[in-house]
Amino acid sequence: MTFPDIMIILARGAGYTILVTIASVSAGLAAGLFLSVLGTLRWKAVSFFLGAYTYVFRSIPVLVLLFLVFFGLPGLGIRISPFVSIVLTLGLISGAYLAEIFRGAMAGVGQDEILAAEASGMNRMQVFLYIIFPQMFRMSIPGMINEFTTVLKYTPFAYTVGIPEIMKEAMSLAVMTLRGLEIYLALGIIYFIIYRLFVMLFMTLEKKYRIPGLAPE
Amino acid sequence: MDPFINDLIVYWPQLLAGLERTLILMVIVSLTGLAGGVCVFYLTLVKSSILHKWTEAYISFFIGTPLLVHLFLMYYGLPQLGIRLSALTVAVIGFTLNVSAYNARYLATAYNGLDKEELEAARAQGFKHSETFRLIILPQVMRLSVPSLTNQVIQNLKDTSVAFLIQYHDLFAQIQEIASSNFHFFKAYMTAALVYLALVSIVVLAARRFERFISLPGFETH
Amino acid sequence: MALIQVRNLVKKFDGRDVLKGVSIDLYKGQAKVLMGTSGCGKSTLLRCLNLLVQPTSGQVIFKGEDITLPGVDVRKVRGEIGFVFQHFALYRHLTVEENVTLGLRKIKKIKSREASEKASYELNRVGMFEHRNKYPAQLSGGQKQRAAIVRALAMDPDVLFLDEPTSALDPQMSREVVTVINRLFLDNITMFCVTHDAFLAKYISDSIVFMDDGVIVAEDIAERLFYESADPRIKQFFMSVADHR
Ligand SMILES: Nc1ncnc2c1ncn2[C@@H]1O[C@H](COP(=O)(O)OP(=O)(O)O)[C@@H](O)[C@H]1O
Ligand SMILES: [Mg+2]
Repeated sequence: MTFPDIMIILARGAGYTILVTIASVSAGLAAGLFLSVLGTLRWKAVSFFLGAYTYVFRSIPVLVLLFLVFFGLPGLGIRISPFVSIVLTLGLISGAYLAEIFRGAMAGVGQDEILAAEASGMNRMQVFLYIIFPQMFRMSIPGMINEFTTVLKYTPFAYTVGIPEIMKEAMSLAVMTLRGLEIYLALGIIYFIIYRLFVMLFMTLEKKYRIPGLAPE
Repeated sequence: MDPFINDLIVYWPQLLAGLERTLILMVIVSLTGLAGGVCVFYLTLVKSSILHKWTEAYISFFIGTPLLVHLFLMYYGLPQLGIRLSALTVAVIGFTLNVSAYNARYLATAYNGLDKEELEAARAQGFKHSETFRLIILPQVMRLSVPSLTNQVIQNLKDTSVAFLIQYHDLFAQIQEIASSNFHFFKAYMTAALVYLALVSIVVLAARRFERFISLPGFETH
Repeated sequence: MALIQVRNLVKKFDGRDVLKGVSIDLYKGQAKVLMGTSGCGKSTLLRCLNLLVQPTSGQVIFKGEDITLPGVDVRKVRGEIGFVFQHFALYRHLTVEENVTLGLRKIKKIKSREASEKASYELNRVGMFEHRNKYPAQLSGGQKQRAAIVRALAMDPDVLFLDEPTSALDPQMSREVVTVINRLFLDNITMFCVTHDAFLAKYISDSIVFMDDGVIVAEDIAERLFYESADPRIKQFFMSVADHR
């Protein structure tokens, strides 16, 4: 079995890794957006909840939360599939980080523009949809790429709950062939390729929808 | 008394030993990662284009690939060449390579924001490249990157829990052990989560004090 | 012999000639002002003279030695030329005093105590002594530039280069700085100063060099250059400068 063979065998399992990543990031984006929109309400109880949420989920290690969700929750009678467990775990955690990123980007939206929109008769929802969101989203792109990368790099943990993604494939292949060195090297390269492809994709999208003067540094 | 609490008391010495290993790993890799980050950052400033490319490739590779893969590569792959490293050694090497890449990136970002005329002034005064780095660049970029660098320490603390997957008997590994002996999984992992929450809080408080301690007029980071 | 002799200096950036054969002499005790439209190559010329920018061809003879030749101790040359920048370029993590003493300690290898005494003395002369423990972020523009001038002077340079030292300042602060530079002029400090400020040019110089598009067009005393020059480029330049004031 040559090195390219190993690469090919492992690459076949990459689909699951990408699936887990995309599902988790989507969950994180939804959570992050929801939280940052909640934050704009400026209600005391809500901001306390938001603060607590981000603090807690930025403090607990991914692996601990994953084990709590997958192995712990059944003790309370809640059974969750491995896939949902990892997506929930990574979604909750990246949601906390993304909420911070969105909050920061939202603070950068010009107050006078918001005022102008309100003056023209838009309601809060419209101001958010047409003025704040488009600007905030563009400015968050570097932060979102970082968060995406982080999630991708945590997906190998999925093997600990029995999901057949590439880490798991690599481990069983290593046990069978006793050639861990090449296998884990190939694995690293595959992750790197996935990472580069996604970064390139984001960059192209960012360029395509870029507005002069609104590009993040 | 709750049987789980009772177990915690029985296993107390083991838990403490695990906590100690977690903290040791965190402290070591935070220090080596900082030193490594400064070195890699220095290399990014070197004019030689080949070295520059390699340094960028290094940073990009370690930011783009999972730590766990590096740990497995060394822990399960290297014995194939007859090299057997302890779990702690593997963890320290793997974390250091990763953390250095991140820290170098933070420092480079801060560097891009520096006033380039100031660096020209240092050259005009007759400072060597290495002196400019040590006396002018480093004191400034370190101060400007304090929030990112301390965040990285928190990240390190949390990520040490990964090391149990290569048989490092850290805090999380010990809590796992208790859980698998008494089957109180929820309570065990909840305990783990609370302990990490407490540890992170301590680091956050320490980081705030440190930030205030080294802050200068014009370098306020909050 | 002149302290600095420039002969046929050429500098190309990406194949474009920015300096097209500049020759100029600066004698000890002389103060020259360099004027010319923005982008004509003034900063580049200044930076070629202390090798912050490597000239493409030509000679720069500093104290009898051609410093464009390989094997020259560049850092020694730079240590003997003081440089003051448009945006002050103070080291932001150091206090005013530390800004002044850093070069003394690390380059001139002077002991900390002596360096700090020297700094205090020099800072006192420009009215900056009371601000010696402040950081750049706590100073006004005029104070920053005075500190930057002291930082350069404290090294006892053979010559002081100033690149638009008042351009980033409002008129009030600009006056503080002009006063300081004027005193240096009266003390016969050798100076080469780039400025757009005709007022500054007149009061701090023995003669004015006018440059256009990488070549020296004229060199004369202020009055003759300002009022009697027939060259349309010079006339136009001083009209536009006058408009700004
Ligand atoms: N490092 C550089 N690389 C490329 N071009 C440069 C560089 N420095 C200056 N130039 C160009 O050289 C010309 C002269 O610049 P400069 O000497 O700064 O003008 P001045 O100081 O008279 O305004 C400008 O057109 C500028 O764009
Ligand atoms: Mg200039």
